[in-house]
Amino acid sequence: MMSLELTINGERRALAAHPGDTLLDVLRREGYVGVKKGCGSGDCGACTVLLNGRAVNACLVLAARAEGASILTIEGLADGDRLHPIQEAFLDEGAVQCGYCTPGMVLSAYDLLSRNATPSEGEIREAISGNLCRCTGYVKQIRAIQTAAERMRSERDE
Amino acid sequence: MSETRTLDEAPTDAPLVSARGEGNNRREEREGDVEDVGLHHIQLIVRPSTASEAWRLRTSDPGATRFLGGGIDVVLYTPETVTTLIDLSRVARVGVSEDRRGLSIGAGTTLSELLEAREAGSWVGGFLADVLRCVASPLQRNVATVGGAAARAHPWSDVILAMLVLDAEVEVYDGVARSVPAAEFYAARAQDVAPLITAVRLPARPASARGAFEKFGRTGFDVGLLNCACVANVVRGLCGGARVAVGGTPGLARRLSDVEGFLEAKRLSRETIAEAAMLAARIVDARDDRRASETYRRTLTGVGIRRCLTQLAGIEGEGAL
Repeated sequence: MMSLELTINGERRALAAHPGDTLLDVLRREGYVGVKKGCGSGDCGACTVLLNGRAVNACLVLAARAEGASILTIEGLADGDRLHPIQEAFLDEGAVQCGYCTPGMVLSAYDLLSRNATPSEGEIREAISGNLCRCTGYVKQIRAIQTAAERMRSERDE
Repeated sequence: MSETRTLDEAPTDAPLVSARGEGNNRREEREGDVEDVGLHHIQLIVRPSTASEAWRLRTSDPGATRFLGGGIDVVLYTPETVTTLIDLSRVARVGVSEDRRGLSIGAGTTLSELLEAREAGSWVGGFLADVLRCVASPLQRNVATVGGAAARAHPWSDVILAMLVLDAEVEVYDGVARSVPAAEFYAARAQDVAPLITAVRLPARPASARGAFEKFGRTGFDVGLLNCACVANVVRGLCGGARVAVGGTPGLARRLSDVEGFLEAKRLSRETIAEAAMLAARIVDARDDRRASETYRRTLTGVGIRRCLTQLAGIEGEGAL
């Protein structure tokens, strides 16, 4: 086994990992089960996390490549009991059905809105193009991300 | 026990692979309902600091080692005979720079970093950025590196198609550092151990250079059934220095030099474009595979080249079939 230092949701962690472990393996083993395992091949986006601020498929990143990195999982997005505006918007717009894709979808939206406060619908579609939803389609998720963007702009302007 | 360590932490004459001695029983060791997706055969990851050290490690046991860049293809396609990964994070330059000679892209640069780099965004009228936006999803572009995309050489690769029409040079290390034209690099890929790619250089092009790209797929995310690209200097309607390539045929992308020659100094009229498209469809090395038939790929080639050239010519209303 090897020792791996990561900052997960703001907390520095020293973890044991096998050289062949993916980031998905390590995070789920450590209890971050909001990181979903879907396809294991980068097709579905259920395992999306932020690696140094960018959304990635955790199933396609070897844990060893994340040494020293900062990871954000869905568990780290809310501020205590206060949901992040993207999470609130997903609830308000009904952009959740079975919920399996939701953590990944929310984190892809977070990556987008961190860099682009006023995304077009095309840019939103592009940002979540690696996150598959098999329940609802994408209309409500897109609307939720637009709503979240508006709310986040309003918060910043206040 | 296996371990990850860096070469400067370990003596360079240390065994390349440390025996794990525990068998691959990790799945049984774990509790819970989630089966790991990791590579259970990997026992060691080493982090060399120089290209020469990385190359020495790779060639010392070619069957048991692989380079590790962004790592996507390593996770997806590494055979079980591989026990050691050579992490290139200390070797591969990250970043994009532009000088008189053109654009230099470090092999460790992710596709997203390249796409967002100011110099690359406007390269050949935005052509490079147009291609990169079509590669997989942002989730994968945030990890995949230029060096990895160039090294893996998937037949459907949009990146390699762009490299060919942009006259890219691949900077490699295989005992000596050298620069190889992309077309030559991919024609000579039969070596036992492919060279280590350190950078990709895109030579400067005239301000009049424009490019166009077409990709046919079942979904925007899926690998293409076929892709094609054209780059040319179009001055007062006349075509010069045309580069035309088709990929996913299902072979690796190749330039169509007969079509390039046909287009030289020609006015890009509808008739010329139609003739070039027919020529491309006829000579492309199309074959059947599980994704598409040869016949369908020839049709796609004609349509794709026609669309690309129409775009280069700036002819309105001809983009869609």
